[in-house]
Amino acid sequence: MTQSGEPVIGVANLCKCYGDVKAVDGVSFQVARGEVFGMLGPNGAGKTTTIEILEGLREPDSGSVTVFGMDVTRHAPSIKQRIGVQLQTVSLYPRLTVTELLDLFGSFYAHHLPTKQLVDAVDLGERAKARSMNLSGGQQQRLSIALALVNDPELIFLDEPTTGLDPQARRSLWDLVKGLQAQGKSILMTTHYMEEAAELCDRVAIMDHGHILEMGTVPELIGRRFKERAVFFDTSLKLPSAQLGKLEGVTRAAQEDGQTVLYSRDVAGTIGALLALTDSLGVEPKNLGIRQATLEDVFLDLTGRALRD
Amino acid sequence: MNTLLRLTVANIRSLVRDRAALFWTFFFPVMFVFLFGWIFGGNSDTKVAIGFVDQDNGSQVSVALQKAFSQVTLLTIQTGSLDAEEAAMQHGDISAIVVVPSGTGAAVAAKSATSIQLYTDPSQSQTSQVVEQIADQIVGASNLQIAGGTAVVGIQPMTLASTNISTVAYLVPSILAMALMQLGVFAAIPLVQQREKGILKRIGATPLARWKLVGSNVLMRLMVAIVDAVVILGIGLIFFNVQIVGNLLAAAGLVLLGAGAFLAIGFALASFLKTEEQATGVVQVVQMPMMFLSGIFFSFDFLPGFLQTVARFMPLTYLADALRQVMVNGTQVAPLGVDVAILTGWLVVCLGIAARSFRWE
Ligand SMILES: Nc1ncnc2c1ncn2[C@@H]1O[C@H](COP(=O)(O)OP(=O)(O)OP(=O)(O)O)[C@@H](O)[C@H]1O
Ligand SMILES: [Mg+2]
Repeated sequence: MTQSGEPVIGVANLCKCYGDVKAVDGVSFQVARGEVFGMLGPNGAGKTTTIEILEGLREPDSGSVTVFGMDVTRHAPSIKQRIGVQLQTVSLYPRLTVTELLDLFGSFYAHHLPTKQLVDAVDLGERAKARSMNLSGGQQQRLSIALALVNDPELIFLDEPTTGLDPQARRSLWDLVKGLQAQGKSILMTTHYMEEAAELCDRVAIMDHGHILEMGTVPELIGRRFKERAVFFDTSLKLPSAQLGKLEGVTRAAQEDGQTVLYSRDVAGTIGALLALTDSLGVEPKNLGIRQATLEDVFLDLTGRALRD
Repeated sequence: MNTLLRLTVANIRSLVRDRAALFWTFFFPVMFVFLFGWIFGGNSDTKVAIGFVDQDNGSQVSVALQKAFSQVTLLTIQTGSLDAEEAAMQHGDISAIVVVPSGTGAAVAAKSATSIQLYTDPSQSQTSQVVEQIADQIVGASNLQIAGGTAVVGIQPMTLASTNISTVAYLVPSILAMALMQLGVFAAIPLVQQREKGILKRIGATPLARWKLVGSNVLMRLMVAIVDAVVILGIGLIFFNVQIVGNLLAAAGLVLLGAGAFLAIGFALASFLKTEEQATGVVQVVQMPMMFLSGIFFSFDFLPGFLQTVARFMPLTYLADALRQVMVNGTQVAPLGVDVAILTGWLVVCLGIAARSFRWE
């Protein structure tokens, strides 16, 4: 057993190339026992490659990769007993039913949970006798998560677990993940949804082009980049941008998604000055609002790309 | 073991629930047995030729018997020495031989028990039964005449394989061979499918040993092979009266060896095929020529020389040949030992290729 202080995952200087493509290029991070660690990044960032190396499915080119303190390349069989895996692409025997698949996968492990409990955990009770090929995309996704839990694993890898889920199913998966964390399990997950990362992850790493760009708790990441808050209103109101940049407290003015955004150190002063300006022009700013910078802003700022291409 | 069994059950379920796969593994060969059985197996009303061998130097008894046999309208009779008649039967000119051994006449005169010999080919059960019944009646009638019903003359049954086996008897083991070939070669398709879908990869993330995954596939296919064999031979026996004359254990061994060899070919193919579409296409390209050139539906000898050479490279030629030899005493393409050696060679080589080149993702 791992001592409480020792990380369940340790990755140092991990590299993996496919021909000329450096899929993972010098990645290092650790995941503590009981932690939910999130990996964010645009398509092709190298998240899946990293996860699948940790799962023992791909060989690293260089670097060290340990799970439960054991080298993944040398102790794969005993590590596999203790991890749960959900792959990004759903992959199941199409003609077996939900129950049959859970029973079958359970038999691969020394210890496994009762099938009924797993079916209930992902809310597939009504479809327990359906063949996996006849499940909807979201139901297949939930089955694939149930399969990841079949051996009651200490460490769970979830690669885009909520992609394709409806909002309700996504919420219930969040509850499931929180429940798993409450049981002391560690989770490494990837997602393209910022609110999901913010909701679930103790720490996140933002990846692009095989590198980790930033790593930390969500508030840390936001705080590190954005000292200001944003004042925003509809851009349909044409105001001279030179003047906007000079309003009280404003550090930067930008146009984003049909909105004018003023990043401000002094929100009250900025709004006062903005209203004075619009008053003098005889117009009124529509949908005026204030918000904190979000993980999405951090992401945009770091990668120059929206999270969902 | 539990895991292996469960995986095998999972494989069987997947097969049974897949209509296309079911068609190829069961209904296709069954359809062929019926189709060709009906085409070639119809009860012909042509006469049955038998040979009559008089070793009793024209004794009263042998003359009487010969007369009795020649009066049966269903039979045509030729006479000659035992050697000549055996040769004729092996060549397929006659279906049975009646032999009156020397001393029969003397024994009958002394009213001491004696018997005549009747050679039949058990693999041609229909004809043999007809001849046996006729012989029974004739001998019974003679006993009545000679000894007032006391069984002085008996029949000593003999078997002699005739090489010219009936078309249905030829077809049944051949179609079984074809079914085994398809069973093995078609195994490539689900394997490629499972790799393409990432099922193999997903299983690779569990502690399951890979040999169990392969083993369960082999086990499932071998079980299907046995079911196929029982179904096809059963239909041959029940509907077309094709008896299996050889050693059943040897036949079962050949069924497993054949299934194994073609399974190895299927695995080797799966090593090189990437997509399901590719697999379906290539598998047809591999199995179709074998189906038509390996002497399944018509004898090998009918092929032009060039195609015979091609057929000699096909493993199905040897499996079909071996099964015919063991099951119905069919003509040889090659000696049984050579058949077995060639099949074993394919098994070993293809297994080696698969072990080296098979990709799990
Ligand atoms: N098997 C492979 N062969 C060749 N290139 C690969 C392979 N797997 C991944 N790559 C490449 O490596 C890079 C990283 O891919 P990866 O799947 O890890 O990205 P990702 O972060 O998971 O992306 P996504 O968000 O789209 O899932 C990509 O450029 C991809 O094209
Ligand atoms: Mg991915």
